[in-house]
Parts: sequence; C-alpha cells; structure tokens
Amino acid sequence: MIQKKLDLFKLDPFSLDSKDKDLLFKKYLNDLTRYHYSKSNLYKKILSGFDYKYNKNYEVSELPFLTTSIFKELDLKSISSNQIFKTLLSSGTSGSSQSKIFLDKENATSQRLALSKIVSHFIGKNRLPMLIVNKDINFEKNKFDAKSAAIRGFSIFGKNHHYLLNPSNKINEEVLFNFVEKFGKKKFLIFGFTSDVYSAFFENSNFKEKIDLKNSILIHGGGWKKLENKKISNHLFKTNFLNKYNVKKIINYYGLVEQVGSIFFECPKCNVFMCSNFSDVIIRDKNFNQIENEEGIVQLISLLPKSYPGHNILTEDLGKLAKCNCGFKGKCFTIKGRVKNSEIRGCANV
Amino acid sequence: MYSLKLKDIKYLVGNNIVQSKTLKPFENIVCSFLENLSKNLLKNKTYRKHTDLVALAFWCSSSNLSKLKKKYKNSQIRFGRGLIFHITPSNVPTNFIYSLLFGLISGNSNIVKVPSKQFPQIDMICKEIKKILSKKEYSSIKDLITIIRYQDNDKNCISEKISEICDMRIIWGGDKTINTLREFKIKPHATDVTFGDRYSFSIINANKVSKLGNNDLKILVKNFFNDTYAADQNACSSPHIVLWYSHKNIEKTIEKFWVELSKKTKQDYVLPEIAIIDKYTKLCKDFAINEDILGYKNYSNSLQTIRLKKIKSGLENLRGKWGYFYEYQLNDLSILKDIINKKFQTLTYFGFSKNKLEEFIRYNNIQGVDRIVPFGQALNMDLNWDGYDIISSLSRSVIIK
Repeated sequence: MIQKKLDLFKLDPFSLDSKDKDLLFKKYLNDLTRYHYSKSNLYKKILSGFDYKYNKNYEVSELPFLTTSIFKELDLKSISSNQIFKTLLSSGTSGSSQSKIFLDKENATSQRLALSKIVSHFIGKNRLPMLIVNKDINFEKNKFDAKSAAIRGFSIFGKNHHYLLNPSNKINEEVLFNFVEKFGKKKFLIFGFTSDVYSAFFENSNFKEKIDLKNSILIHGGGWKKLENKKISNHLFKTNFLNKYNVKKIINYYGLVEQVGSIFFECPKCNVFMCSNFSDVIIRDKNFNQIENEEGIVQLISLLPKSYPGHNILTEDLGKLAKCNCGFKGKCFTIKGRVKNSEIRGCANV
Repeated sequence: MYSLKLKDIKYLVGNNIVQSKTLKPFENIVCSFLENLSKNLLKNKTYRKHTDLVALAFWCSSSNLSKLKKKYKNSQIRFGRGLIFHITPSNVPTNFIYSLLFGLISGNSNIVKVPSKQFPQIDMICKEIKKILSKKEYSSIKDLITIIRYQDNDKNCISEKISEICDMRIIWGGDKTINTLREFKIKPHATDVTFGDRYSFSIINANKVSKLGNNDLKILVKNFFNDTYAADQNACSSPHIVLWYSHKNIEKTIEKFWVELSKKTKQDYVLPEIAIIDKYTKLCKDFAINEDILGYKNYSNSLQTIRLKKIKSGLENLRGKWGYFYEYQLNDLSILKDIINKKFQTLTYFGFSKNKLEEFIRYNNIQGVDRIVPFGQALNMDLNWDGYDIISSLSRSVIIK
C-alpha cells in the first residue's frame, strides 16, 4: 500500500504498480479537483454546471474534464495575476486563437522536476552534448510558445547546446559537421520537433560526406500530422534514420502544452507511449463512455497542474490503449492521429 | 464585353471573357438548362450520396421551376440587371449555386466567386454545368455563367476589379466580408444585395404538442430534425433556441419532444468526432460565462439542451451547433419585441395560426424576422430570401406604353 505523503519526485517515474497508482490517483485527482474548484471561479462554475459535488469522492473516470480548446476560450487559472511567473502559449496557427497556460514558480518547478525524472529514466542522469534541430531560441527570449518551451525544457538535460538551423530555418552544415566531429564519438542527444527533424535530415539536406550518428539518442515529439501527409510513419522514420545516419535509439514523445512536464515517452521497442507516475490516460467513445479495446478520444490526466486547472483534459487526439512487452506494468497507449476537422455545413459565419 | 486579365484566378466554368447580358426572368433556355442539371445530378450515384446535391436537383427540377414560375407570374415586363458578381460563403458547399440560380432565373449574366476552401460538391456541380454548356443548344447562354476561385487574401485585388465592372453584387457573408466589399467602387447604377449572418429560432405551442398522438409527434420531431441536423444546425435558417409557449407546467411535454428527437438522432445522425469535443467545450464555456443558465440536459452527445432562466436582448449570440439547443418557456409572445432585431431571419413554428403570428409581428413593431415557416421548412431555399423578393431585386422593370 501507498505510504502517506508519498513523494513522487523521489521515486523512479515508472515504479508504481497499477493498483497503487489507481488508489493514489483517485485521492490526488479528487484533491486536485477540489483545489481548483476552490481557487478558480470559472472552473467552479463549469463544475457546478456538471453538478459536481465538492464532498463526494469520485472515481477518476467520473470526474468532470475540460478540453484543450477551452484554454483558448477562457483564461483559466488558480492563482492570482501577480503570481503568474510565465504564460505558455500553444503554437496555434495564425488566425486561430492560442491556448494560454498560466504558471507560477511552483508549477514551473514541478514541471521541470517531472520532466527530468522521465527523461533521465531513458537517457541517464548525465548531461549529454545536445544538438537541437531548431534555430537558436535565445534570439527570442520572451517567446513562450509550445516549441520554445519544449526546447527550453529539454535543454536542461544537455550541455554544449548547438542549434542546427540558421535563422531562416535552413540546416547549417558546418554546425552539424563540427558537432559530430567534436562530440560524435560518445553518447550525445539530438532533439527536435518530429516534422522539423525529418525535413532537416531528409528533405532540406544533401550532405557531400556521409554522416554517422551511431552514438546519438534522437528524442522528438510534436505530432505526426505533417509527416502523415507525406506518408512517413513512425516505423519508416526509424528505418530511414537507421539506414541513412545509423541512428539506433530514437524516442518519440507525446504531450500537451496544457500538461507540460508529465509527458509520455515511447517505449523504444514497442512504440507505445508509457504513462509515468505523474500521468494517466483514459480512452472514450463518442458518448464519453470509457472504452478499453477500441480506438477513441484520448483523455489525459496529470498530477502536476496546480496554477491552472489542466489536470484532467480531453484532447483532440484519437488513440487506443496498448501493451508494452518489455515488462512495464503501467498503462500504455498509441496515438492514431487527430480528430478530423469535419466539413462544416450551413451558412452561418464566413 | 470585358476581359478579366487578372492573375491567380482559376476558372471552374467559363473563361476570362465576361459580359453583361440581360434576359427575361424564367427564360425558357435557362429553365431547360437547369432541368438538365437536375437530371444529371440525380443520374449519378456518387452525387446522390450528397444530400445537398439531391436537394439542389430537386430545386432545379422542372416541377419545382414551374411552381416557382407560377408563383412569380408578374404582369410587369422585367429584364435582368446585367452582370452580377456573386461573393459566396466559405462554409456552405452548395450555397454558391443557389446564388447563381437566383441570378440566372432573374435573367442575368453571372460571375460567381466560390470559396477558396475545397468542397467535392463544388467540383461536381461545376463539372456538370460545363458538360451541359458545351452542348450546341446552350451556346447562347454559355456566357451567362463564369465560376471562379481565388485566394481569400485576394492579393491581386480581384474582388475590387470585378466590382468595378459589374451591374450588381450579391454578397454572402459576415459583417466583415460585407464591409470589405463595400469599400470598393461600383458603377453608379450598380446595387448590392447582401445576405449577412443571421439568427433563427423556433416557437412551439406546447399545449398542442401535449395533445399529439405518437405518430404526429414523430412527424413534428422529424420536421425539426430536418430543419436542424441536416446542416449540422449551422445554416442561418436553422433554429438555435426553442421557445415553449404555454401557461401550464409542460415539463413532461418538453421531455417527450427531446427524447423523441434523441431517438431520431440515434437512427439518422452521425455526429463527427470534432463536434463532440466542440460541443463539450461550448458547454463548459456556457457554464463559465453565461449567467442565465438554469440547467442542462444531456440526452446523448448528439443532443444537449440548455434551459435558460430568462431571455434578453443579445439572444442572437446564443448559438448551438450539431444538436445544441437553448430553450425557454414563455406565456406571452410580446416579451420578444425587445429581443428580435434585424439579425433574426427565420422563425419556425408549430401550433399557431398564421394570423396570430402575423399579428404578433405587426402589433409589436418587430424589426427582424424575414421568414415565418412551419417546422420542416427552415432550409427550403425560396425566391424570397432574407426579406428580398429575389426576382424583383435582381431584375428591373421596363414600362412600355
């Protein structure tokens, strides 16, 4: 059984068995929901609408959830304005509104700690030389979009940071060659957004010399939407990197800007996303019934959000529960893409 | 004759030569062309899968056209106004064609800008139009139809240049689109017909509903379903709020109606996944900022109802989609007089006499509402639209003595 006041930041992030985790999550999630209910007036109104009872202990799957897009519509926060340490913005395309996530210092710290637990589980505790497939974000110090936030978040696991792209987003060959020459003989890290990484190495590059990245660990995330259109699957991504650059360890991660920190790393062998001690997943059908074996809408739960009510969110992604065959006992899932934007019928607004 | 030598225009039908031509309303050759279009649309199995194409085919059928012609029967001598420039909305696949039909039937030549967003229906319709126009017998009306597409940002000022040469514009869209186009010069005699963003609602006499037998209730529900779900409740003539009229406690009746509708949606409506999330987000937002909510009922993800404590001006901002309805019980229609404004388009009703509704409009000095139709007719495209008599608006009368 779980001890009282369990400190998740001291445990291995994948240590809890499902029984303990279920008990823990039921308690923590009910507490978190009550916390945000009492701190955020808008959140309280939403929950009251759903007839939420403050004193009832709900099963995790019964607790009311929010959606990712509600963070575009409302400024949801459980702190006062003067406690805002920074505001994360989703990388929304121009025209569509952006999500706003309000962080205080405490929440920013817990995000960093959780991320660090998860990442070091996969790559070890030592900081590795890091090649970042992006332009230098230090030129835009005050930018807090999802991309910059991810790069900043991951940068703390590296050293000798090099940015692979020049300001016009083209690959800088000199940087690449120098980096490989200097650090390529030992373990090093490559980090970037899935589609950026792929186009940098396979579309916008024509290297004269062969490059061997055999000691690299490539960590990438951000979604497959762009590559899906080009018919590049996760499997093909890996095969291509292995064949052309000899990259042997590739880890895809998945996460929401609404739940930075408690992200999902892929089991490098089974290609399924693993829930850590900080997170959980529920798959729902069209009527929001919980489903176990079919594809459905992905709901993500994180214990980290305290300065904003982002602990329980229905995403716009489709996914399915899955199994990891490497001995990991926790919940796993795969992502099958995004909910399709349907053709809008009618003649309302233009 | 004008030559549209403009960059970045894609011609779906016709080419860069356009001209201003006028015919009589309901010219035989035009009607024959439309009847052909109707037949071709119905012949094709793929087309028939699109309910909006079937509805279009019905609209252009010879029987419907002769009905419309009969209704029109005008003793005046009328001719089209010339070249009409149609700017059609980007979220209704078949809207452009109705705009074109208005122009053609009234006796005009037409340049139709279709939305830059791709819809298979647009390509299908244009393909059939081209096919028919290529026949010899229609060569005389070939230059009445030019259908074009260009990017919404309109870098090359195409809208501005076409505005300069046309005799009339039909502008569909929100206030922003209309205002942008209003900035362009048009010929001194040219005029605009605008179909802006509108709001629609239903009034239902609950006492009458409570007396309905099972079958009649089913018919009522089916009609309401067609008015709303057929276009995902997104057409400007689909109701967003249902006003229940009664002095009594009618909770049971209300419940019966929604339960029946919910059954109907289970049989005949496929809710897209994005709608599920969109509606849930909308519900959360409503709970957070709408102070007038009394309660809500979730019949399924295809049907939610939001009960209001009161209704007040600004009602037109309460909009649902994909089966998300506001509702309110009232026992006096006159409270609507301060709420209905020019944004209001269609009132669908059940259980009232025409007279009673006409009186309501007349004696309350109601500024909005252009259509009052029974349940089931909300989406019927008519030659009266948004308060315009289409033929009179799109043609000129000539006096010969």
